[in-house]
Amino acid sequence: MAHGKVPSANDWFRLDNAAKIFPAISTERETNTFRVQIEMTEDVDKDFLQLAVDAALERYPMFKVRLKSGLFWNYLDYNQRPFTVRPLTHKVCGPLDPRDNNGYLFQIYYRARLIVLEMFHSLADGGGAFALIKTIVYEYLTLKGCRVTPDNMILTRDSLPTKEEYEDSNLTYYDPQNHRHVKEERAFLVKGTPIEDGNIGLISGTISTAEMIALARNHQASVTEYLTALLMYIIYLTQIKYREHLKENQKPVKIFVPVNLRKHFPSNTLRNFANFVKSGMVMNRADITFDEILEETKKQFAFGLQPKELIRKMSENVSFEKNFFLRITPYFLKKFALRIGYKKMGLLLNTLSFSNLGKIDFPESMEPYIDNVSVAVYSGRFNTINIGTSSFRDKFRITFTRSIVETTIEREFFRHFTEKGIHVTIESNYVEEY
Amino acid sequence: MKYCDKCHVEVRTNQPYCPLCHQVLKGESELARMEVYPEYVPPIRTVRTLTKKAVLFVTVVSIITLLIVNLTDFDGRLWSLIPIGAILYVFVIIRLGILSRHNIAFKLAILTTILIAILNVIDQEYTAEAYRGWALDYVTPLSLLACNIAISVIILIKRINYRDYLFYLLTIVVFSLVPPVLCLFDVIRIDWPSLAAFGLAGGILLGIIFFFPKSIKAEIKKRFHL
Ligand SMILES: [Zn+2]
Repeated sequence: MAHGKVPSANDWFRLDNAAKIFPAISTERETNTFRVQIEMTEDVDKDFLQLAVDAALERYPMFKVRLKSGLFWNYLDYNQRPFTVRPLTHKVCGPLDPRDNNGYLFQIYYRARLIVLEMFHSLADGGGAFALIKTIVYEYLTLKGCRVTPDNMILTRDSLPTKEEYEDSNLTYYDPQNHRHVKEERAFLVKGTPIEDGNIGLISGTISTAEMIALARNHQASVTEYLTALLMYIIYLTQIKYREHLKENQKPVKIFVPVNLRKHFPSNTLRNFANFVKSGMVMNRADITFDEILEETKKQFAFGLQPKELIRKMSENVSFEKNFFLRITPYFLKKFALRIGYKKMGLLLNTLSFSNLGKIDFPESMEPYIDNVSVAVYSGRFNTINIGTSSFRDKFRITFTRSIVETTIEREFFRHFTEKGIHVTIESNYVEEY
Repeated sequence: MKYCDKCHVEVRTNQPYCPLCHQVLKGESELARMEVYPEYVPPIRTVRTLTKKAVLFVTVVSIITLLIVNLTDFDGRLWSLIPIGAILYVFVIIRLGILSRHNIAFKLAILTTILIAILNVIDQEYTAEAYRGWALDYVTPLSLLACNIAISVIILIKRINYRDYLFYLLTIVVFSLVPPVLCLFDVIRIDWPSLAAFGLAGGILLGIIFFFPKSIKAEIKKRFHL
């Protein structure tokens, strides 16, 4: 679409490099959706919210789409049907059924003070989702008569959509000379009793952002490094220790940590532009300490975050997508290749994923209306536990989602903080009680 | 707010138990306060899913019965494949045509295509030599003709969604161009049904090119991008 043109029925968008794989591999249980949740300081009015979403969608033609199938690839096609906000249900990051959502690839839910956005990963990553929900909250507060200003931190209808926002930045920054594939070992998987009906349990803990940062600084680590190491240590304590000789436990515990590439490369895209670093360690001794894991994690992060390494991982994916034979294979066959590849190369290579979205900024005028912000990622059959964190002012929220009944990891994780005298407030969707 | 004195955490809930350790929580419930997340509502088994299961059950049972009857009294002919083909077609009509939520042009196009395929198989495999060819001569072109008319009429009536239907219309139009080619090679011996289908398809194709040039170009670009 040309700069500034009003979106029309003839608009369509190619899926970006990362988005191409999700429609092929997503199922009822591996939904590949994620949640961005904002708790306001007052109850949300659903009629104003509906109007706010309608207004926001005018600014985001690239989200006013539905997924359609082509002969070789799926694509996003302009969706002229209306979008409806809904009351929040017990389902966390469930599948987005395109047929009872007018084809939209995201949902907006409301409940008491919550505004919840759930999005299918083909549409965008956390960066794009936060841009959208910020605009929605801004429009909502404006409609409610609050005096808020966008301060150039929020995309509003005062600016027009730009081509940069639709760009697949993976294609901009990839390097055809640097796409070596690095073979990886399968990861240790956390096993447990599946929750009935494929439901996802959610437990989130809120701690002080300042205390969290101080704790990490005491160990000369970033918050992401500290929490990654802590998660590995907790998995070691709860799942492996005293059983480290078992065959199953020889596999490395590996944490998949998404990296927002907008922070490493100049890009304003609203689409998927993320990569990852991993920290992994074989836990086959009885005397592994937290400090030891943290040192290892810091080393692996330093290596994984080098621009050369980030470009290599990006180029590996792009060169796969650009493979001539894959491209000319009709989509219904391509789907099987993608599914097998993803299970072998994606899901089974990670114990869990930990997404730290970091500090979420709002214009100062909006801050008084917002209490906290959190993120959650779906959990499935292999990655039975996933973690999402974000901070808003002094509330650092750590959200665990799980597809298993057991909450041992969550319990030990939060006790790690309370033992240090850090105050923790817990919320849960109590899926196990029903 | 409630408190767990085992985990030493505050819990924002009115539930009696700690979500981390399942011990009873201390503190008073604030009943005025809504739970942060809604309660679990078990999924409702809809009529649609139940019907789907019933249809699948009946289909599988009747196919197995037919095969058993055919094979226990086997005289060298697999006659059961004809009713099995018919049953499968009815199954596809119910599943795709009635119970699915695909768009109507897709349903028409796919059901027509499957019907043509099944009838051609029956024609080639089970018709006596002298009468063979009816499916190619009449059924194929005439059902394509009917399908073309049906989708065109739907586009005229439901103009708002025409972009969704255009692609399927185009597919059937392209299929309709095949029978006249088969006529040229004498595979099809009766010309008029093929020519009628071809004539209508050609007319529709020109109509699309004249009236929706941009839509059709965009549609082809979208559907076939590499
Ligand atoms: Zn407890």
